[in-house]
Amino acid sequence: MQPEFTDVQRFLLDCPPFDELNSEQRQWVAQQIKAAYVNEHNVDALFKQHSPALYIVRSGGFDLLAPDQHVIERLESHDLFGYPSLLSGRPVVNKLKVIEDGIIYIVSAGAFDKLRQNSRAFEQYFIRAHGQRLLGEVSRPYSAGSTTANGDTQRSADSARTAVLDKTPGFDALELTIGEVVSRKPVTLPMSATIREAAQLMRDHKVSSVMILGAVPVPNPEEGASGAVPVPNPEEGAEPGLHPTSPSQKLFGILTDRDLRNRVIAAGLSYDIQVNAAMTQAPATVYGRQTLMDALTLMTQHNIHHLPVIDDNDQPIGMITNTDLMRQQRSEPVMLISAINKVETREQLIEEAKQIPAYMQTFAARVHDTTMVGRLLASLTDSMTRQLIRLYEQEHGVAPGTYCWIAFGSQGREDQVLSSDQDNGLLLGNGLNEQQLEWFKGLGEFVCSGLNECGIPLCPGDIMASNADCRRTLDGWLERFQTWTESPTPKALMYCQIFFDSRMVHGNKRLYQRYREEVAKLGKKDFFLGNLARLQVSVQVPLGLFNRFRGTESGKDSDLINIKRYGIALINDIVRIYSLQAGLTVPQTLQRLEQLRGSNLLNRKDNQSLAEAWQFLTQLRLQHQLDIWGTDKPKNALDPDELSTLTRRQLKTAFRIIKECQQGVGLKFGRVG
Amino acid sequence: MFGYLKRWWLKTIQVRKSWTHHTYIALDIETSGLNPNTDQLLAVAWVEIKPPVIDYKTGRYYLIKHDQTDLKQSPVVHGLVSKDFLETTEPRAMLEQLAEILRGKVLVCHHIQLDWSFLKHAARQHGIKLEPLALFDTLAFEAKRLKRQQHHIERGSLTLAACRARYGLPEYNAHHAFSDAVGCGELMLAQGYKFAGSSKSRLW
Repeated sequence: MQPEFTDVQRFLLDCPPFDELNSEQRQWVAQQIKAAYVNEHNVDALFKQHSPALYIVRSGGFDLLAPDQHVIERLESHDLFGYPSLLSGRPVVNKLKVIEDGIIYIVSAGAFDKLRQNSRAFEQYFIRAHGQRLLGEVSRPYSAGSTTANGDTQRSADSARTAVLDKTPGFDALELTIGEVVSRKPVTLPMSATIREAAQLMRDHKVSSVMILGAVPVPNPEEGASGAVPVPNPEEGAEPGLHPTSPSQKLFGILTDRDLRNRVIAAGLSYDIQVNAAMTQAPATVYGRQTLMDALTLMTQHNIHHLPVIDDNDQPIGMITNTDLMRQQRSEPVMLISAINKVETREQLIEEAKQIPAYMQTFAARVHDTTMVGRLLASLTDSMTRQLIRLYEQEHGVAPGTYCWIAFGSQGREDQVLSSDQDNGLLLGNGLNEQQLEWFKGLGEFVCSGLNECGIPLCPGDIMASNADCRRTLDGWLERFQTWTESPTPKALMYCQIFFDSRMVHGNKRLYQRYREEVAKLGKKDFFLGNLARLQVSVQVPLGLFNRFRGTESGKDSDLINIKRYGIALINDIVRIYSLQAGLTVPQTLQRLEQLRGSNLLNRKDNQSLAEAWQFLTQLRLQHQLDIWGTDKPKNALDPDELSTLTRRQLKTAFRIIKECQQGVGLKFGRVG
Repeated sequence: MFGYLKRWWLKTIQVRKSWTHHTYIALDIETSGLNPNTDQLLAVAWVEIKPPVIDYKTGRYYLIKHDQTDLKQSPVVHGLVSKDFLETTEPRAMLEQLAEILRGKVLVCHHIQLDWSFLKHAARQHGIKLEPLALFDTLAFEAKRLKRQQHHIERGSLTLAACRARYGLPEYNAHHAFSDAVGCGELMLAQGYKFAGSSKSRLW
């Protein structure tokens, strides 16, 4: 009778992807295992005899050597190797060097193939691991009952940790796609319709807004090359009503209740003129495949209540309103933002803001896509900033000139966490006198101290609008950027990493746009990029000799790894340098990567790897912060020994990706200057 | 007489081979006490080893059938309870298999005196001969080694777990006969490779 191999099975449960197998498959594979005691005398003969096979390190320490003798990786308990040859059919070329004698489990090629056939998850794992695509793997908690009562404490700590990290994927209404929520067909009118017709149509359909369509000229293939300029003809627009739009229809504008009030009635406009006189042209839109979170962010940023929804061919498919968002159950964030938007006093605002940490806790524990947490926090900070600005204006009169309130750093990038401090500044119009400047000084002080009281800590580096140095005209800011880019001291380069990630929170769009475009020009200079690249390459990822983790902290925390400074921030840096070179003006790391797709400087594989590593690290940091919430443990540093086997492997993969991409940055940018 | 001589001669030649060229059976038993004449053999587990490989496919685990199963102190140690004995094997069937598999191989146990005396006792009762090529005791080897290095042997330092820890072998959830058999086999390999040096040396 065959024994049950309890110890082997327990080990395999902690050794992904074997945890993906069902217990019958795991029992079966345990019986197929050959356990070898490996030392320097038998290692070569052993591998010659058994390869290709899947090898699992049970104990001891081994170095995997490339044919040129360089160490690919130090292998320790739970590490797997040998599968690339199994998958590719290519001969085994790497060698193993014994550092410490130990036991290695051998799973034959036949058994490996059988497992791949019987378990899709098992096969997927190796295909991803082979393609260095491990970061997408979602680890799972140990199945109940697999840990025996007398299992050692490390194991139960591990499983508890895994259970936290791998809670069933959460869900928040904000994760729904807009297309799922928009049920009503678009209510549209051609541009030739009158304002009265628009109001009647809105009445009949009981809607508060209508989309205005115009015909988009279809290029005539025969005339295509003739150079004739097609003229849009509004008369060809669709008939009013719910007609499905033909592919040649495009959204030209949107008309809302508010427009009828403000631009028509209040302005004494005739109801018989065409709608395009009163509509908002080229309105902000969202795609049906985007999430409610995207809609919420956009509405908050532009302070609008209606968003036309279009499909991938730019055809309107419906309208989403702030009421639609409010209607979504279980979405406190929307309630919180609208509560913030309703406050009348600074005290009320601070009161509402007190709820943010608790809300964020439940929200973060629920969402599947953890990048939403950073975006939501940024949206909340934006909303609070705008309210503070409004309250200041109520007290001190409206602004004496055009200006922009700008968010830098993590708020700018929308990867804020609860402990992130403020990074902001003011962009001012030219020609302000002493008294007017005083008004903006007061604004900066009022908003920054207000945000501080709302729980967004003051910036220790004083990058805040309350600091005169961060209140500048367009020329003043450009002068700053010029100094930083032309005489790049370490401090200047550090500033660049904050100031080049910017987003306008409030103010004059056109002014900001000009500022951003001019700043982008300064950021493209080879000399500057070269210096930035050399600085980035000098920061080492926390992988030591033989790809083992290396602690990044000092003192009693010396085993901990700071995944923000040596992970997320390094990816932000790498992506920023490619974005600067390409002249991109978006601040968000993932959006930058998306816009960099197709770039001939950053290849598709690295682009995807960086996005995956960034998402993985962001998720890991969020989970860590949820775990240590309320304690005084470091917020961004964690102990690799406390991670599950899969998470440890993924963390190594993430660091390896960063390391390789850093080298790429060094090669591509670092040689100039 | 001639047969005996021939066997003895073959055995002598066999034993002289390098230790890595032998096949080993690592074995562990569970009993209801320490006296083979009065106590019962409850379970036997073994696995075959061809250095440096332990082939789990050859692993066997048998719960032995008894007329009335008297567990005495044993459940405390082995965690065996009466319901575990629902799927049992006749001692004779187990012994026949063991006799077959032991022929020409080296039997390895941790504290082999105990295991071997129980096995011999049971085999004698059923008229079966167990003829391993040799016996190897991982405990005796370790005790001799420590003494030779002038170590004071502390209480508890010769348990299977303690010996394994000295060789950096993984911790097992001890006291299941099969885990202990595998654990003992790994210990034998570690002792062999560490102290018999290269594969040409002899282990015993």
